Amino acid sequence: MLIEFKKIFVERDGRQALSDVNLSLSERRIGVIGPNGSGKSTFIRLINGLILPQPGHVYVDGLDTRTQTEAVRRKVGFVFQNPDNQIVFPLVSEDIEFGLKRRLPHAAARKQRSQETLEQLGVLHLEDRLVHTLSGGEKQLIALAGVLATLPEILVFDEPTTQLDLRLRNRFERHLAALPQPAVVVSHDLELMKTMDRVLVLKQGCVVFDGAADAATSWYREHCG
Amino acid sequence: MGSFYFLGRSWLHLMAAGQKLAALMLVGAGLMWVHDWRILLFALVVVLGLLQQSGAGFKQVWLHVKSLCVWVLLLVVFTAVVQTPTLAAEAGLRMSTLLLAALVVTMTTSISSLMEVLIWLLTPFSRLGWINSERVALVFGLTLRLIPEMSAQWHDIREAQAARGLTVSPLTMGLPMLLRTIRRAQDIAEALDARQ
Repeated sequence: MLIEFKKIFVERDGRQALSDVNLSLSERRIGVIGPNGSGKSTFIRLINGLILPQPGHVYVDGLDTRTQTEAVRRKVGFVFQNPDNQIVFPLVSEDIEFGLKRRLPHAAARKQRSQETLEQLGVLHLEDRLVHTLSGGEKQLIALAGVLATLPEILVFDEPTTQLDLRLRNRFERHLAALPQPAVVVSHDLELMKTMDRVLVLKQGCVVFDGAADAATSWYREHCG
Repeated sequence: MGSFYFLGRSWLHLMAAGQKLAALMLVGAGLMWVHDWRILLFALVVVLGLLQQSGAGFKQVWLHVKSLCVWVLLLVVFTAVVQTPTLAAEAGLRMSTLLLAALVVTMTTSISSLMEVLIWLLTPFSRLGWINSERVALVFGLTLRLIPEMSAQWHDIREAQAARGLTVSPLTMGLPMLLRTIRRAQDIAEALDARQ
Protein backbone atom coordinates (compact mmCIF):
# COMPACT_ATOMS: atom_id res chain seq x y z
CA MET A 1 0.00 0.00 0.00
CA LEU A 2 1.47 3.31 -1.07
CA ILE A 3 0.31 6.81 -0.26
CA GLU A 4 1.87 9.52 -2.37
CA PHE A 5 1.70 13.27 -1.80
CA LYS A 6 2.78 15.25 -4.86
CA LYS A 7 3.45 18.99 -4.66
CA ILE A 8 0.74 19.55 -2.07
CA PHE A 9 -0.40 23.01 -1.11
CA VAL A 10 -3.48 23.57 1.02
CA GLU A 11 -4.98 26.86 2.17
CA ARG A 12 -7.50 26.79 5.04
CA ASP A 13 -9.20 29.68 6.78
CA GLY A 14 -7.12 32.17 4.85
CA ARG A 15 -3.73 30.76 5.76
CA GLN A 16 -1.36 28.23 4.23
CA ALA A 17 -2.05 24.98 6.11
CA LEU A 18 0.38 22.88 4.05
CA SER A 19 3.17 23.97 1.72
CA ASP A 20 5.01 21.94 -0.88
CA VAL A 21 4.60 18.51 0.66
CA ASN A 22 6.13 15.70 -1.39
CA LEU A 23 6.13 12.28 0.22
CA SER A 24 5.76 8.57 -0.42
CA LEU A 25 4.48 6.56 2.54
CA SER A 26 4.71 2.78 2.47
CA GLU A 27 5.62 1.84 6.05
CA ARG A 28 3.20 -0.15 8.23
CA ARG A 29 3.00 2.44 11.00
CA ILE A 30 3.45 6.11 10.23
CA GLY A 31 3.27 8.77 12.91
CA VAL A 32 2.66 12.48 12.47
CA ILE A 33 3.56 14.97 15.19
CA GLY A 34 3.79 18.72 15.36
CA PRO A 35 2.68 21.76 17.35
CA ASN A 36 -0.96 22.87 17.31
CA GLY A 37 -1.84 24.48 14.00
CA SER A 38 1.07 22.84 12.20
CA GLY A 39 -1.19 21.18 9.59
CA LYS A 40 -1.42 17.63 11.02
CA SER A 41 -5.20 17.36 10.77
CA THR A 42 -5.15 18.82 7.27
CA PHE A 43 -2.42 16.35 6.31
CA ILE A 44 -4.37 13.26 7.32
CA ARG A 45 -7.64 14.56 5.87
CA LEU A 46 -5.91 14.62 2.50
CA ILE A 47 -5.50 10.84 2.64
CA ASN A 48 -9.20 10.07 2.26
CA GLY A 49 -10.18 13.14 0.27
CA LEU A 50 -11.94 15.00 3.09
CA ILE A 51 -9.72 17.89 2.03
CA LEU A 52 -8.44 18.30 -1.51
CA PRO A 53 -5.10 19.96 -2.23
CA GLN A 54 -4.95 23.17 -4.26
CA PRO A 55 -2.79 22.46 -6.17
CA GLY A 56 -1.26 18.99 -5.94
CA HIS A 57 -2.36 15.36 -5.93
CA VAL A 58 -2.64 12.63 -3.33
CA TYR A 59 -2.64 9.04 -4.55
CA VAL A 60 -3.71 6.12 -2.38
CA ASP A 61 -2.66 2.85 -3.95
CA GLY A 62 -2.66 4.65 -7.30
CA LEU A 63 -6.11 6.20 -6.84
CA ASP A 64 -6.37 9.98 -7.04
CA THR A 65 -8.26 11.39 -4.06
CA ARG A 66 -9.58 14.20 -6.25
CA THR A 67 -11.14 12.12 -9.02
CA GLN A 68 -11.65 8.75 -7.34
CA THR A 69 -12.79 9.94 -3.92
CA GLU A 70 -15.39 7.24 -3.33
CA ALA A 71 -12.97 4.42 -4.16
CA VAL A 72 -10.34 6.02 -1.91
CA ARG A 73 -12.77 6.29 1.01
CA ARG A 74 -13.60 2.62 0.68
CA LYS A 75 -9.92 1.86 1.15
CA VAL A 76 -9.19 4.35 3.91
CA GLY A 77 -10.83 4.07 7.32
CA PHE A 78 -10.74 7.29 9.32
CA VAL A 79 -11.01 7.35 13.11
CA PHE A 80 -11.78 10.83 14.41
CA GLN A 81 -10.49 12.41 17.59
CA ASN A 82 -13.95 12.76 19.10
CA PRO A 83 -15.94 9.51 18.87
CA ASP A 84 -19.18 11.42 19.60
CA ASN A 85 -18.93 13.00 16.18
CA GLN A 86 -18.25 9.72 14.48
CA ILE A 87 -20.91 7.62 16.16
CA VAL A 88 -24.19 8.64 14.57
CA PHE A 89 -26.73 6.22 16.03
CA PRO A 90 -27.68 5.75 19.67
CA LEU A 91 -27.23 1.98 19.74
CA VAL A 92 -23.79 0.40 19.26
CA SER A 93 -24.89 -2.34 16.84
CA GLU A 94 -27.13 0.10 14.97
CA ASP A 95 -24.22 2.46 14.36
CA ILE A 96 -21.79 -0.20 13.14
CA GLU A 97 -24.41 -1.71 10.84
CA PHE A 98 -25.23 1.74 9.44
CA GLY A 99 -21.67 2.05 8.10
CA LEU A 100 -22.08 -1.26 6.28
CA LYS A 101 -25.35 -0.49 4.53
CA ARG A 102 -23.84 0.19 1.13
CA ARG A 103 -21.36 -2.66 1.33
CA LEU A 104 -23.65 -5.40 2.65
CA PRO A 105 -27.27 -5.17 1.48
CA HIS A 106 -28.51 -7.98 3.73
CA ALA A 107 -29.27 -7.14 7.34
CA ALA A 108 -28.12 -10.57 8.58
CA ALA A 109 -24.71 -10.13 6.92
CA ARG A 110 -24.36 -6.67 8.48
CA LYS A 111 -25.23 -8.05 11.89
CA GLN A 112 -22.67 -10.84 11.54
CA ARG A 113 -19.90 -8.46 10.42
CA SER A 114 -20.71 -6.10 13.27
CA GLN A 115 -20.50 -8.91 15.83
CA GLU A 116 -17.25 -10.25 14.36
CA THR A 117 -15.64 -6.81 14.56
CA LEU A 118 -16.79 -6.18 18.11
CA GLU A 119 -15.45 -9.57 19.10
CA GLN A 120 -12.12 -8.79 17.43
CA LEU A 121 -11.80 -5.76 19.72
CA GLY A 122 -13.07 -7.66 22.75
CA VAL A 123 -16.19 -5.53 23.15
CA LEU A 124 -18.95 -7.79 21.89
CA HIS A 125 -20.69 -7.35 25.25
CA LEU A 126 -21.32 -3.70 24.30
CA GLU A 127 -23.32 -4.64 21.21
CA ASP A 128 -26.73 -3.75 22.64
CA ARG A 129 -25.62 -0.82 24.75
CA LEU A 130 -26.68 2.76 24.20
CA VAL A 131 -23.70 4.82 23.12
CA HIS A 132 -24.29 7.63 25.63
CA THR A 133 -23.93 5.15 28.50
CA LEU A 134 -20.41 4.14 27.41
CA SER A 135 -17.16 5.54 28.81
CA GLY A 136 -14.85 7.63 26.63
CA GLY A 137 -12.55 4.67 26.01
CA GLU A 138 -15.42 2.38 25.09
CA LYS A 139 -16.76 4.98 22.67
CA GLN A 140 -13.31 5.21 21.07
CA LEU A 141 -13.32 1.42 20.58
CA ILE A 142 -16.84 1.50 19.11
CA ALA A 143 -15.77 4.24 16.68
CA LEU A 144 -12.81 2.05 15.72
CA ALA A 145 -15.12 -0.97 15.35
CA GLY A 146 -17.36 1.05 13.03
CA VAL A 147 -14.37 1.71 10.82
CA LEU A 148 -12.84 -1.78 11.01
CA ALA A 149 -16.17 -3.39 10.10
CA THR A 150 -15.88 -1.86 6.63
CA LEU A 151 -12.60 -3.75 6.15
CA PRO A 152 -10.45 -0.76 5.21
CA GLU A 153 -7.02 -1.32 3.70
CA ILE A 154 -5.49 1.68 5.46
CA LEU A 155 -6.37 3.26 8.80
CA VAL A 156 -6.00 6.90 9.70
CA PHE A 157 -6.23 8.03 13.33
CA ASP A 158 -6.65 11.65 14.38
CA GLU A 159 -5.28 12.02 17.92
CA PRO A 160 -6.74 8.72 19.13
CA THR A 161 -5.41 8.85 22.69
CA THR A 162 -6.27 12.45 23.59
CA GLN A 163 -9.41 11.57 25.55
CA LEU A 164 -8.16 8.34 27.10
CA ASP A 165 -6.78 7.71 30.56
CA LEU A 166 -3.52 5.79 30.93
CA ARG A 167 -5.13 2.35 31.12
CA LEU A 168 -7.28 2.91 28.05
CA ARG A 169 -4.42 4.55 26.21
CA ASN A 170 -2.29 1.42 26.78
CA ARG A 171 -5.20 -0.73 25.66
CA PHE A 172 -5.50 1.33 22.49
CA GLU A 173 -1.78 0.91 21.83
CA ARG A 174 -2.15 -2.86 22.08
CA HIS A 175 -5.11 -2.83 19.69
CA LEU A 176 -3.21 -0.67 17.24
CA ALA A 177 -0.21 -3.01 17.32
CA ALA A 178 -2.46 -5.99 16.58
CA LEU A 179 -4.20 -4.45 13.58
CA PRO A 180 -2.97 -5.91 10.29
CA GLN A 181 -3.65 -2.76 8.21
CA PRO A 182 -1.10 -0.01 7.67
CA ALA A 183 -1.93 3.01 9.81
CA VAL A 184 -1.21 6.72 9.83
CA VAL A 185 -1.51 8.19 13.31
CA VAL A 186 -1.56 11.85 14.28
CA SER A 187 -0.83 12.35 17.95
CA HIS A 188 0.83 14.45 20.62
CA ASP A 189 1.53 11.20 22.47
CA LEU A 190 5.28 10.80 22.04
CA GLU A 191 5.30 7.36 23.68
CA LEU A 192 2.84 6.17 21.06
CA MET A 193 4.96 7.77 18.35
CA LYS A 194 7.91 5.67 19.48
CA THR A 195 6.04 2.54 18.34
CA MET A 196 5.88 3.86 14.76
CA ASP A 197 8.09 2.76 11.88
CA ARG A 198 8.42 6.27 10.51
CA VAL A 199 7.51 9.63 12.00
CA LEU A 200 6.93 12.94 10.23
CA VAL A 201 7.28 16.20 12.10
CA LEU A 202 5.14 19.04 10.78
CA LYS A 203 5.69 22.69 11.58
CA GLN A 204 3.94 25.66 10.00
CA GLY A 205 2.60 23.48 7.21
CA CYS A 206 5.92 21.94 6.21
CA VAL A 207 7.46 18.54 6.87
CA VAL A 208 10.51 19.61 8.86
CA PHE A 209 11.70 16.15 9.91
CA ASP A 210 11.09 12.72 8.45
CA GLY A 211 12.75 9.69 9.95
CA ALA A 212 12.83 6.91 12.50
CA ALA A 213 10.64 7.26 15.59
CA ASP A 214 13.39 7.89 18.16
CA ALA A 215 15.17 10.45 16.03
CA ALA A 216 11.92 12.22 15.16
CA THR A 217 10.67 12.46 18.75
CA SER A 218 14.08 13.73 19.93
CA TRP A 219 14.12 16.32 17.17
CA TYR A 220 10.58 17.36 18.09
CA ARG A 221 11.44 17.75 21.78
CA GLU A 222 14.50 19.80 20.92
CA HIS A 223 12.96 22.11 18.34
CA CYS A 224 9.30 22.35 19.24
CA GLY A 225 9.28 21.71 22.99
CA MET B 1 -29.25 12.27 28.13
CA GLY B 2 -28.30 10.83 24.76
CA SER B 3 -31.30 9.18 23.15
CA PHE B 4 -35.05 8.76 23.47
CA TYR B 5 -34.83 5.07 22.63
CA PHE B 6 -34.08 2.55 25.32
CA LEU B 7 -33.56 -1.18 25.01
CA GLY B 8 -36.38 -3.37 26.19
CA ARG B 9 -38.30 -6.54 25.56
CA SER B 10 -41.84 -5.18 25.95
CA TRP B 11 -44.51 -5.93 23.36
CA LEU B 12 -44.23 -2.29 22.30
CA HIS B 13 -40.53 -2.82 21.54
CA LEU B 14 -41.34 -5.93 19.53
CA MET B 15 -44.15 -4.30 17.54
CA ALA B 16 -43.19 -3.28 13.97
CA ALA B 17 -42.11 0.34 13.60
CA GLY B 18 -44.52 0.88 10.70
CA GLN B 19 -47.48 -0.28 12.81
CA LYS B 20 -46.53 2.05 15.65
CA LEU B 21 -46.17 5.02 13.33
CA ALA B 22 -49.48 4.25 11.64
CA ALA B 23 -51.19 3.99 15.03
CA LEU B 24 -49.63 7.28 16.13
CA MET B 25 -50.85 8.96 12.94
CA LEU B 26 -54.39 7.63 13.43
CA VAL B 27 -54.47 8.65 17.08
CA GLY B 28 -53.10 12.09 16.19
CA ALA B 29 -55.70 12.65 13.48
CA GLY B 30 -58.50 11.10 15.56
CA LEU B 31 -57.89 13.27 18.63
CA MET B 32 -58.38 16.40 16.54
CA TRP B 33 -62.02 15.39 16.05
CA VAL B 34 -62.69 14.68 19.71
CA HIS B 35 -64.09 17.57 21.74
CA ASP B 36 -65.29 15.70 24.82
CA TRP B 37 -62.84 16.16 27.70
CA ARG B 38 -63.86 12.79 29.20
CA ILE B 39 -62.81 10.91 26.06
CA LEU B 40 -59.60 12.94 25.89
CA LEU B 41 -58.88 12.12 29.54
CA PHE B 42 -59.51 8.44 28.79
CA ALA B 43 -57.05 8.64 25.84
CA LEU B 44 -54.43 10.19 28.11
CA VAL B 45 -54.89 7.41 30.67
CA VAL B 46 -54.51 4.80 27.91
CA VAL B 47 -51.28 6.42 26.69
CA LEU B 48 -49.95 6.57 30.25
CA GLY B 49 -50.74 2.87 30.48
CA LEU B 50 -48.75 2.27 27.29
CA LEU B 51 -45.81 4.18 28.74
CA GLN B 52 -45.95 1.95 31.77
CA GLN B 53 -46.15 -1.13 29.50
CA SER B 54 -43.04 0.01 27.63
CA GLY B 55 -41.03 -0.45 30.82
CA ALA B 56 -39.93 3.18 30.97
CA GLY B 57 -39.40 4.52 34.47
CA PHE B 58 -41.01 7.72 35.74
CA LYS B 59 -37.65 9.51 35.99
CA GLN B 60 -36.78 8.57 32.42
CA VAL B 61 -40.11 9.89 31.10
CA TRP B 62 -39.92 13.03 33.21
CA LEU B 63 -36.45 13.79 31.83
CA HIS B 64 -37.91 13.96 28.33
CA VAL B 65 -41.16 15.75 29.07
CA LYS B 66 -40.27 18.26 31.78
CA SER B 67 -39.27 21.01 29.32
CA LEU B 68 -42.43 20.38 27.29
CA CYS B 69 -44.67 20.81 30.32
CA VAL B 70 -44.04 24.55 30.24
CA TRP B 71 -45.30 24.77 26.66
CA VAL B 72 -48.39 22.70 27.38
CA LEU B 73 -49.09 24.90 30.39
CA LEU B 74 -48.68 28.04 28.29
CA LEU B 75 -51.08 26.62 25.72
CA VAL B 76 -53.65 25.88 28.43
CA VAL B 77 -53.36 29.32 30.02
CA PHE B 78 -53.51 31.09 26.65
CA THR B 79 -56.57 29.11 25.54
CA ALA B 80 -58.29 29.71 28.88
CA VAL B 81 -57.73 33.46 28.55
CA VAL B 82 -58.77 33.89 24.92
CA GLN B 83 -61.42 31.13 24.83
CA THR B 84 -62.96 29.09 27.64
CA PRO B 85 -61.56 26.95 30.47
CA THR B 86 -63.27 23.88 28.98
CA LEU B 87 -61.53 24.39 25.65
CA ALA B 88 -58.27 24.98 27.50
CA ALA B 89 -58.65 21.66 29.32
CA GLU B 90 -59.38 19.96 25.99
CA ALA B 91 -56.30 21.49 24.36
CA GLY B 92 -54.09 20.52 27.29
CA LEU B 93 -55.36 16.94 27.37
CA ARG B 94 -55.05 16.58 23.60
CA MET B 95 -51.52 17.98 23.46
CA SER B 96 -50.33 15.89 26.44
CA THR B 97 -51.79 12.72 24.93
CA LEU B 98 -50.14 13.38 21.58
CA LEU B 99 -46.75 14.19 23.10
CA LEU B 100 -46.79 11.10 25.29
CA ALA B 101 -47.98 8.88 22.43
CA ALA B 102 -45.10 10.17 20.29
CA LEU B 103 -42.76 9.52 23.21
CA VAL B 104 -43.99 5.91 23.47
CA VAL B 105 -43.09 5.42 19.79
CA THR B 106 -39.65 7.05 19.98
CA MET B 107 -38.77 5.34 23.26
CA THR B 108 -39.58 1.88 21.94
CA THR B 109 -38.40 2.17 18.33
CA SER B 110 -34.79 2.40 17.24
CA ILE B 111 -33.87 5.22 14.87
CA SER B 112 -32.77 2.76 12.18
CA SER B 113 -36.22 1.09 12.28
CA LEU B 114 -37.91 4.49 11.93
CA MET B 115 -35.58 5.31 9.05
CA GLU B 116 -36.43 2.06 7.28
CA VAL B 117 -40.13 2.90 7.45
CA LEU B 118 -39.45 6.37 6.10
CA ILE B 119 -37.34 4.97 3.24
CA TRP B 120 -40.19 2.59 2.39
CA LEU B 121 -42.75 5.40 2.50
CA LEU B 122 -40.63 7.62 0.28
CA THR B 123 -39.69 4.92 -2.24
CA PRO B 124 -42.33 6.06 -4.83
CA PHE B 125 -40.91 9.60 -4.79
CA SER B 126 -37.41 8.21 -4.96
CA ARG B 127 -38.34 6.13 -8.03
CA LEU B 128 -39.70 9.25 -9.70
CA GLY B 129 -36.32 10.85 -9.06
CA TRP B 130 -37.79 13.64 -6.94
CA ILE B 131 -35.85 12.84 -3.78
CA ASN B 132 -33.19 10.53 -2.43
CA SER B 133 -35.20 8.61 0.18
CA GLU B 134 -32.09 7.37 2.01
CA ARG B 135 -30.80 10.91 2.44
CA VAL B 136 -34.14 12.20 3.66
CA ALA B 137 -34.32 9.30 6.14
CA LEU B 138 -30.79 10.02 7.33
CA VAL B 139 -31.63 13.68 7.92
CA PHE B 140 -34.72 12.60 9.85
CA GLY B 141 -32.72 10.06 11.88
CA LEU B 142 -29.97 12.54 12.68
CA THR B 143 -32.50 15.17 13.73
CA LEU B 144 -34.16 12.74 16.10
CA ARG B 145 -30.78 11.64 17.41
CA LEU B 146 -29.58 15.18 18.03
CA ILE B 147 -32.64 16.59 19.83
CA PRO B 148 -31.58 15.22 23.24
CA GLU B 149 -28.00 16.34 22.59
CA MET B 150 -29.12 19.87 21.82
CA SER B 151 -30.96 19.88 25.10
CA ALA B 152 -27.82 18.70 26.93
CA GLN B 153 -25.81 21.36 25.09
CA TRP B 154 -28.27 24.02 26.24
CA HIS B 155 -27.80 22.94 29.85
CA ASP B 156 -23.98 22.91 29.48
CA ILE B 157 -23.95 26.46 28.13
CA ARG B 158 -26.39 27.67 30.77
CA GLU B 159 -24.21 26.15 33.51
CA ALA B 160 -21.07 27.74 32.06
CA GLN B 161 -22.77 31.14 31.80
CA ALA B 162 -24.11 30.85 35.35
CA ALA B 163 -20.60 30.05 36.59
CA ARG B 164 -19.48 33.34 35.02
CA GLY B 165 -22.35 35.19 36.64
CA LEU B 166 -24.15 35.86 33.37
CA THR B 167 -27.91 35.81 33.09
CA VAL B 168 -29.78 33.95 30.38
CA SER B 169 -30.32 36.13 27.32
CA PRO B 170 -30.57 35.57 23.57
CA LEU B 171 -26.99 36.81 23.25
CA THR B 172 -25.40 34.75 26.04
CA MET B 173 -27.31 31.58 25.16
CA GLY B 174 -28.29 31.92 21.49
CA LEU B 175 -24.89 32.73 20.08
CA PRO B 176 -22.93 29.91 21.75
CA MET B 177 -25.76 27.49 20.88
CA LEU B 178 -25.66 28.55 17.24
CA LEU B 179 -21.87 28.34 16.98
CA ARG B 180 -21.66 24.99 18.74
CA THR B 181 -24.47 23.56 16.63
CA ILE B 182 -22.83 24.65 13.39
CA ARG B 183 -19.49 23.22 14.53
CA ARG B 184 -21.14 19.94 15.53
CA ALA B 185 -22.99 19.74 12.21
CA GLN B 186 -19.71 20.24 10.34
CA ASP B 187 -17.98 17.54 12.38
CA ILE B 188 -20.79 15.03 11.86
CA ALA B 189 -20.95 15.80 8.14
CA GLU B 190 -17.22 15.20 7.88
CA ALA B 191 -17.49 11.90 9.76
CA LEU B 192 -20.39 10.78 7.54
CA ASP B 193 -18.35 11.67 4.46
CA ALA B 194 -15.47 9.60 5.75
CA ARG B 195 -17.76 6.63 6.42
CA GLN B 196 -19.43 6.60 2.99
